Amino acid sequence: MDKVRHNKGAAIILLLPAIILFVSIIIIPIICSGYYSLTEWDGIRDKVFIGFSNYRELFEGEVLRGSIKNMLLLALCAVGIQLPLALVFAILISGGIKGEKMYMTVFFIPVMLSTVVIGQLWLKIYNPSHGLLNGILSMIGLENYADSWLGNQGKVLAAVFVPMIWQYVGYHMLLMYAGIKSINSEIIEAAKIDGANGFQIACRITIPMLMPVLEVCTIFAVTGAFKSFDLIYILTGGGPAHASEVPSTLMFTEIFQKNHYGVGSAIAIFIILICFTSAIIIKRIFKRWEV
Amino acid sequence: MKKRLAAILIATFTLCSILSGCGKTTDSSAPTGADDSAKAGGAQTLKIWSIATEGDSSHHAYEAAIADYMSAHPDVTVEMETFENESYKTKIKTVAASDELPDIYFTWGGGFSQPFVEAGKALNLDSYYTDYQDELPQGTMSYATYDGSVYGVPYVVSISGIFYNKKMFEQYGLSEPKTWDDLMNVTKTFLDNGITPFGVSVKEAWVMAMFNDALTLKCVGPEMLDKAFTGSGTGYEDAGFTDAAEKLSELFKMGAFDKNAAALSNDEAVSEFLAGTVPMYVTGAWLDGSIQSGAENPDDFSFMPFPACSDQAVLEDSMGGAQDMLMVNPKTKDADLAANAAFEIAKSLSKYGYQDGAGLAAWKVDYEVEGQSPISERMAECVNEANSLTVWSGTLMSAEDYTDYQSALQEFFVGNIDSKTFVETMNKMLTE
Repeated sequence: MDKVRHNKGAAIILLLPAIILFVSIIIIPIICSGYYSLTEWDGIRDKVFIGFSNYRELFEGEVLRGSIKNMLLLALCAVGIQLPLALVFAILISGGIKGEKMYMTVFFIPVMLSTVVIGQLWLKIYNPSHGLLNGILSMIGLENYADSWLGNQGKVLAAVFVPMIWQYVGYHMLLMYAGIKSINSEIIEAAKIDGANGFQIACRITIPMLMPVLEVCTIFAVTGAFKSFDLIYILTGGGPAHASEVPSTLMFTEIFQKNHYGVGSAIAIFIILICFTSAIIIKRIFKRWEV
Repeated sequence: MKKRLAAILIATFTLCSILSGCGKTTDSSAPTGADDSAKAGGAQTLKIWSIATEGDSSHHAYEAAIADYMSAHPDVTVEMETFENESYKTKIKTVAASDELPDIYFTWGGGFSQPFVEAGKALNLDSYYTDYQDELPQGTMSYATYDGSVYGVPYVVSISGIFYNKKMFEQYGLSEPKTWDDLMNVTKTFLDNGITPFGVSVKEAWVMAMFNDALTLKCVGPEMLDKAFTGSGTGYEDAGFTDAAEKLSELFKMGAFDKNAAALSNDEAVSEFLAGTVPMYVTGAWLDGSIQSGAENPDDFSFMPFPACSDQAVLEDSMGGAQDMLMVNPKTKDADLAANAAFEIAKSLSKYGYQDGAGLAAWKVDYEVEGQSPISERMAECVNEANSLTVWSGTLMSAEDYTDYQSALQEFFVGNIDSKTFVETMNKMLTE
């Protein structure tokens, strides 16, 4: 075994398939996008190299700035609402309550459903004339609060965030649940004997020992929010009047509706960069906490 | 030594993977199964792409047209592949960029195909068109013609106008409006009775654009609209455009459109029209298909041209034209064969599509047509009587302008901008 490990030639050959795959489907497309972002290109005719003009044009425009604001807000909601919710549920369920398995399944269903299905579901819920939400509001006498949720610029962002957050609570909960289950039960039993209550155990033992899992969850939640596209596209397409626009929906519009492959690629590069940087920053922050 | 060997190995592998990724796949395109016998006799295969998916109203027309062509040309096999409308727009552009277009492909004339023609992705059909000139009127060719040359073969002609609920009009003693004042009268009557007069989708802003196209056409006339939308005129400065924007603003303020339109998709808005809660819907001829299949009583519905709103236009000026067409890949193996097939298939498509009610015939109708819906007959009448046909903004404008136009309409509808700013935005966009 040692002989094989020290044989660098063998190691390289064995790693080659993975490297080729990684380079050809991840690295090369990123490099291509980087190149496209420096050109003016309609996708069909010849590319014209224009340097950083696309980036300048983008960051001077109001639409991208608005979409970045929405994106940051979404990331904030994901970390501030989605993760705490998932953590609370994970702690409660792993505490051995009745119907543990059933709760796990129920919370995990939205993760398994296709986003298109969830989008259609929420479109029906939000439908202004015969939707569930307005129906319930008028049933309990709050018809004044009924609204066209996805058509009102002031409320559309909140209306879109709710299903986006709801969808992945179960996913994070599952990760955290698995993390909690792997904590040595002797530690918790010892704490119980010492007289710690459920809250104290959660704060002093479970959460600190769960830090590596929380780190992964935070990275997933933040980068997930930064590149979110599908639900917004189905529910509003970024509208009305850019009110629910995020960079990825803007990228889609630029590339496939306006034929601006250059500008669209510039947004893609921006999304990649911001996802990488945020992942690195989150890792640094957690490292400090762990030590 | 080993290190160097490994480095060379990696370099070769990486290079191979890059090259194989960039290289063109040589398509042997061997047809399978049934036509093996035909192949032996030197058979040729033509590939055709369209958006006539199984659920599409023109699916049957395509199948029948291809079957007709194959029985007339037994040595040619035509293979059709279909794609969903929106994804096709992306697909065809990507494929054109990588030079992998099929022999014959469906596309939209005017602005959409401009880059295809300019980049040499469409065959010049001038010499072939002369054979069919008598059957395919010049008037339908305007969006298939680029710089005086024919590049596309249209098969269906469309028209837009107001689809309306006859029953609701009768209930309130209303007749078809012919002028702006008539239209205001109709709108007010419905509003007074607590009915929203117009169904529309602003979420899918092309529907709102169809309305604004019609209104603007009837305020400025066909020539000026065509020039403004194609960016070859004086932009949006004429008083007629301001007038049109103010009229639209007036309709917004009255509440003439469904107030939830910003949240509704076209399908959702159409379903309210078909259910009889909204009396009018401005869109293209394709709504007839939905009325015939989706309305409880299709005879309750009818079609009328958008009323004339100024002296610049008459009732018989309409939005419409032959926009759907077939183009031929210049890199096809046998250009003559493919070009003739495109014309022959388009001719049959025109006939079958018209008979099925999928659209109005772009080619001369020299056959009996039975079982047309009254709406379809009315639309065919409007096309025949048309003083002018101007195709929609989606075809006239470049893709970029059209996207910006839709987003300006959304801003206008939700009240972020007023009519003055709307005109300024349009002017800036179209003259840049």
